[in-house]
Amino acid sequence: MLLQQIINGIVVGSVYSLTAMGVTLIYSILRILDIACAGAYALGAYVGLFSYVATGNLLLSFLIGMIAMGVWGIFVQKFFYLPLLGKSPLISLVTSIGLFILLGDFIRLWAGPLIRDFPTDLKLPFSGIRTENLTIMPVWILVLLTTAILLFILWYLITKTKIGLAWRATAQDLETAKAMGINVNVVVAFNFFLGYSFAAAAGIMIGIMYNYIFPTMGDVPAYKMLAIIVLGGLGNPVGAVVAAMLIGLIETLVGGYIGFFLPRDSIAFIVVIIMLLIKPQGLFVRKNI
Amino acid sequence: MLKLEGIHVYYEESRAVSDVSISIKEGEFVTIIGANGAGKTTIMKAIMGLIKVKEGKIYFEDTDLTNKPPWVRAEMGIGYIPEGRRVFPDLTVIENLKVGAYTIKSKQVLKQNLERVFSLFPRLRERGKQLARTMSGGEQQMLAIGRAIMLNPKLLLIDEISMGLMPILVNTAFASIKKMHKEGITILLVEQNAKKALAIADRGYVLETGHIVLEDSANILKQKDEIRKAYLGG
Repeated sequence: MLLQQIINGIVVGSVYSLTAMGVTLIYSILRILDIACAGAYALGAYVGLFSYVATGNLLLSFLIGMIAMGVWGIFVQKFFYLPLLGKSPLISLVTSIGLFILLGDFIRLWAGPLIRDFPTDLKLPFSGIRTENLTIMPVWILVLLTTAILLFILWYLITKTKIGLAWRATAQDLETAKAMGINVNVVVAFNFFLGYSFAAAAGIMIGIMYNYIFPTMGDVPAYKMLAIIVLGGLGNPVGAVVAAMLIGLIETLVGGYIGFFLPRDSIAFIVVIIMLLIKPQGLFVRKNI
Repeated sequence: MLKLEGIHVYYEESRAVSDVSISIKEGEFVTIIGANGAGKTTIMKAIMGLIKVKEGKIYFEDTDLTNKPPWVRAEMGIGYIPEGRRVFPDLTVIENLKVGAYTIKSKQVLKQNLERVFSLFPRLRERGKQLARTMSGGEQQMLAIGRAIMLNPKLLLIDEISMGLMPILVNTAFASIKKMHKEGITILLVEQNAKKALAIADRGYVLETGHIVLEDSANILKQKDEIRKAYLGG
């Protein structure tokens, strides 16, 4: 029972970590909170669903959804956030909320306001595990694998490549990075591409896990990922993953053992309130990125 | 080599620098002296492209830089040692140096330049894998200098090399600048420590509240009464 709950928690946490990664990456470079990243989560799920219906190929659907949202991210930073750079971060925050609402309504116009079913007959190349005490659904394996692969790619890019070095330098000191010859526009675009495509992957996985998607599916993640990145220490990718796993585990364990008189989605915020009272800088102070 | 033609820079509404014209020939060592807040750092940032120039033009080797982004200016051969060193705290020494050489494509050249920095500052080789934030102020200054020369600059902009350093380290820092000048790098040094700056520069500009008030060879500036009173302690 405990093992089952832990596995459930990690699966939920995996999706959270991908959702929160976009906001974390963007915050670490531009110091703005990008709520609209959750819009990429919802729209990405739709693009993924329609691609799957059209092609029947799951991998391809992931790629299409992720690339489409990544390109949207590049567009967003170029036309919305870069012109606002240097102004009060509140302006960017309001802009991001506006963009988020815009995307939600775009989905309603495009795909209709109703819940859409995700195909349940997904052909996955692996089967789940089912014993008397333990169930691991094939979809969960898909989620865990996808998350692990994407996080590995991110880690590799950031720590082992030239653009990753530029990313880290820019995150630590944007002005000096420019003066050293780093084209920060490219770094910021790369950052948004990764962040938004990760959010899209998370949205598609949620769609597959629960078998349905809806236009406002990004609402709760929009706020929950804020809780996660605050918990992880703003702008720290490792912290964001740990915090996401933690929130996923706490939600599942509290829900499974204690039950809860409040909605499950409130747990993340209660954790953050406690955190802010005890250690306001977050679990991990921003360093070693 | 570098020419500023009547530049004006504003922060928000207030004017930080007005009608500043400066020209530097290849191989020269030029200094701008002036009190805190006179606008020295602003001029450096304007040359590097980190702040916008409201009026006037900046030319480097006859190319109009005025609307070029900082990274293009770096690639053209302008090295920059910012005020307060500004090393990347959570990168290692070697990573910091690699960022300095970001515009260099050839692995060979990168390696050569790294060797040059290490021979200039052997301490940096010893500390190669250490995070910059864990180093002393003097070592960070070496790193800032090393990082700036990683791209083989033709022109080196140095903003307050002596700030926050112990006197003995100030001498070391000045010695290393002199060495780089001997190697053929043109230098523009902005400095509050006017005595030291005028001692090693060929020519100097005196900046007061955003205006250039004097320009002459360093030797002549050193003799002037008003300079001695205001900047050299009598």
